[in-house]
Amino acid sequence: MKKTVLGELEEMVLLVVAASTEDVYGVPVLEQLQQQTGRSFTISAIHTTLYRLEEKGFLTSSVGGATAERGGRSKRLFSLTTEGGRVLLEIQQMRTRLWEAIPQGKFQLLGL
Amino acid sequence: MGRKPTSSQSGRQSPPRWADRLLEWFVAPHLLEYVQGDLHETFHKQVIEIGPTRARRAYIRAVLHCLTPFFAKRQTAEPSRTIEHKYPKPMLSAMLSNYLTIAFRNLWRHKAFTAINIVGLAIGLATCLLIVLFVLHELSYDRYHTHADRLYRVTLYGRMDAKDINLAYAYGPTGQTLLQECPGVEAVTRLRREGAFLVKHGENIVKEENVAFVDSNFFSVFNFPMLKGNQARALVEPNTLVLTETIARKYFGQTDPIGKTLSMGNLGLFRITGVCEDVPSNTHFHYDMFGSLQSVKTGNKWLASGAYTYVRLREGYSIQQVEGISRGFVSKYMASEINEFFGMTLSEFLKKGNGFGFVFQPITSIHLQSNLDDELAPNSDIKYVYIFSVIALFILLLACINFMNLSTVGSAGRSKEVGIRKVLGSVRKQLVSQFLTESVLLTFLALGLALGLVLFLLPSFNALAGKQFTLGAILNGKMLVGVVIACLVIGLLAGSYPAFVLSSFKPITVLNGRMQVSLRSGWLRNALVTVQFVVSIGMIIATIVANQQLRFMQNKKVGFDKEQVLVLHDTQVLGPKLNAFKDDLAKLASVIQVSKAGFLPAGSSSQSVDGIQIQDGARSGVYRTKSYYVDDDYLSTLGIRLAQGRNFSKAYPADKSAVLLNEAAVREYGFKNSPIGKQLSTVGDGTEGSKQTYTVIGVVKDFHFESMHQRIAPLLLFYGGDNGQLALRIRTDDIPSLLSTIEQRWKAETANPFAYSFLNERFNTMYQSDQRIGQLVSIFAGLAVMIACLGLFGLAAFTTHQRTKEIGVRKVLGASIVSIITLLLTNYLKLIFVALLIASPIAGYVMSQWLRDFAYRIEVEWWFFALAGGLAILVAVLTVSYQAIKAALMNPVKSLRTE
Repeated sequence: MKKTVLGELEEMVLLVVAASTEDVYGVPVLEQLQQQTGRSFTISAIHTTLYRLEEKGFLTSSVGGATAERGGRSKRLFSLTTEGGRVLLEIQQMRTRLWEAIPQGKFQLLGL
Repeated sequence: MGRKPTSSQSGRQSPPRWADRLLEWFVAPHLLEYVQGDLHETFHKQVIEIGPTRARRAYIRAVLHCLTPFFAKRQTAEPSRTIEHKYPKPMLSAMLSNYLTIAFRNLWRHKAFTAINIVGLAIGLATCLLIVLFVLHELSYDRYHTHADRLYRVTLYGRMDAKDINLAYAYGPTGQTLLQECPGVEAVTRLRREGAFLVKHGENIVKEENVAFVDSNFFSVFNFPMLKGNQARALVEPNTLVLTETIARKYFGQTDPIGKTLSMGNLGLFRITGVCEDVPSNTHFHYDMFGSLQSVKTGNKWLASGAYTYVRLREGYSIQQVEGISRGFVSKYMASEINEFFGMTLSEFLKKGNGFGFVFQPITSIHLQSNLDDELAPNSDIKYVYIFSVIALFILLLACINFMNLSTVGSAGRSKEVGIRKVLGSVRKQLVSQFLTESVLLTFLALGLALGLVLFLLPSFNALAGKQFTLGAILNGKMLVGVVIACLVIGLLAGSYPAFVLSSFKPITVLNGRMQVSLRSGWLRNALVTVQFVVSIGMIIATIVANQQLRFMQNKKVGFDKEQVLVLHDTQVLGPKLNAFKDDLAKLASVIQVSKAGFLPAGSSSQSVDGIQIQDGARSGVYRTKSYYVDDDYLSTLGIRLAQGRNFSKAYPADKSAVLLNEAAVREYGFKNSPIGKQLSTVGDGTEGSKQTYTVIGVVKDFHFESMHQRIAPLLLFYGGDNGQLALRIRTDDIPSLLSTIEQRWKAETANPFAYSFLNERFNTMYQSDQRIGQLVSIFAGLAVMIACLGLFGLAAFTTHQRTKEIGVRKVLGASIVSIITLLLTNYLKLIFVALLIASPIAGYVMSQWLRDFAYRIEVEWWFFALAGGLAILVAVLTVSYQAIKAALMNPVKSLRTE
């Protein structure tokens, strides 16, 4: 399947959504990402990625509750689809295969 | 989904309002809700974490990050997610295309108006473009070297006998000493020029003017990339030569010149070790052959040697440090030489007020700000950059004023359109943007025309300004972007006033038919017309003054007869045969007299300066005086008259140690009685043997041996003609046949190229740059007047049209045609009179500043102003009267019928 090609940010965002127990919107995804990677992201990048993932069918979204600090604006909540889960599994399997291909003792040779 | 207004929270606690607005305007409605919500949430968290100020800043940054196509894209296929935006807003471009259509139709309908407007603006823009090209080129001199900001030229300042000496070069050893003593100096390179060379290649002999001798590191200090040969090693050995690409091709064609030889005048054979790129035209020197400095004698005494010296500083060092160290050089290295040359100790020397010092010029400032003796090439002046920038601004201003005036005036016919638009629901903002679109469109049409004009005018402009611009200089990316942005700004600025006037019309008054363009804008129009005429009249005055001064210089008695004098160049190549050749020429029927004239009062000639010691009774003094070496025919050939005493003569063998003074020298040396028979001696190079004593045998009347920018300086004439040139006083109407006769005789003697010039032409070239300025100013003045008149023409057309009925009534009541024309003209004449009053003092002041540059100059006279005013009035009357006469002749029945 062609659409399984995911960018790094896309993959990370998808993982963050997958890792959360309930539906998430932009801000928590951003915070999680910043915590995990130590890099800073912008809201706009996160939103772009979330919408793109939705377009690809890996996420679905619904409109959620508003809070006062949002100025009464509602949230767009995202959750993982089966398709999204499958893509993540595929990526993991591909990675594992690559890991297994590394000859034994290679890292020791490099002093790692 | 009702929103609580965020502004209800305290100001510091809410995100910047403008950023929010930007976001709301930019982001597509179906995304806005969630993005904005997230942004606000983050913002409120950050207020607590990092404080309101930084949170607001972060918010702005986050908003700016949202300005991507992704967020801008409106939803199309799917039905809108929010109910509020049921109807899709038209895209900006949809409206824009409508504006453009309307604009084109309008412009097309008023063809004459549009043409006046576009032509005026195009002339303004084209002029501006050309001037910008010129100014940018002037400012770009020597900026392309890799470390241009750290490159300096060492020049010499001295004070001798209460006179300042400013030389563009420094003493020979200065460079090496600086390199040794100043840690801040990274590299030093020197350049010497030895005049022109007769270069021999095979059988051909060509005179090369642009030959320099340079240190071997010259090409690593300056950026003239080597195309062939080793940059570092090329000029290490004596008699090696690096050519520019063009010169290499001239001598060797397509063959590889490396290793070939050229014979350079009296310096013998030079081996070519490198080819470099041509020296760019924006360099303060123009050489195309570089010999190694080893090939020429540089001398190791300070006071008797000189070389153009350039230093490159290390990063982080200031030139003041280097300057400070160089101040010690005089006492450290020159004390003994001062003793030797001037016969006094250093302290005596300094006590007399004499002194030497080094001045460091940033290399980038040389072209525009340096005006020393012995510059490598005549430099320009920062003044001209200012003058031309101001002129460019003025002309652009004129064109913009025109544009504004004509657009406002043209709006009269469009008041009904505005009324209808408003009635149909157009809001003011839309009208403003419609009119702005029109004015920007007009500007760009004008720009197109202007580019065409520039293309057409470029060759003549190049000839005028002495530059070689190509169309590529305008059509490069940076310039084009600048021009387009400038046009956009001009269009918006010039269009803003009419746009706001037009959009402020009230529909009821307009549609009622009573609307005339409100008179309240009348004073502004008048003010604008006055400004235009202030500029035009000012420039006319400048033109008159400049041309008067030029004419004055050309017609002033210069003290010698510059007509009918032919000068033959490079006659020294004849060597011992010269005397016979000279006598031969003198026998020609149309030649009256021939003289050896290496020294000439006009155009390139030999230079000589001596230290002169005067013994007049008990009094003695040392003067630096320019001197000529002439033969006994010189004075009569050039028509220089004697004031006292006698000319040199072959009859007196003692004339070898005789000297003639000019009147200025007599005054300078302070001879009380007749100077005839008085003695003076030359200082030479300081040694006893080089001093020589001369007896004054005559005084010549002052003649202008330098340009009229300087007062006539003291001058000595020694006996002993300089072989460099021959001057021929001729009397013939058939110059071509005389020239061919002389050329034949020349060819019979030598294979060297035959070159000649006429003294009056050489004289005129001395004032070429002044003439150039004069011409440019007159052209610009003409353009300014033309633009102003175009504007006036449009304006007159409008106002007379407005007063059609008034004129009709007047005629019915018995007014004569003349009185009506007078009525229409007086208004403009008043404006021009006011403009004359404003322009005269300003132009008078500016031009008297300009005249200060000339030692011999005209006075600014009242009739200059009267003439300028008269010209302006004449032109204005001619422009307006067409309209006025047309209106006055109109049949009142027609003009009154409309009611």
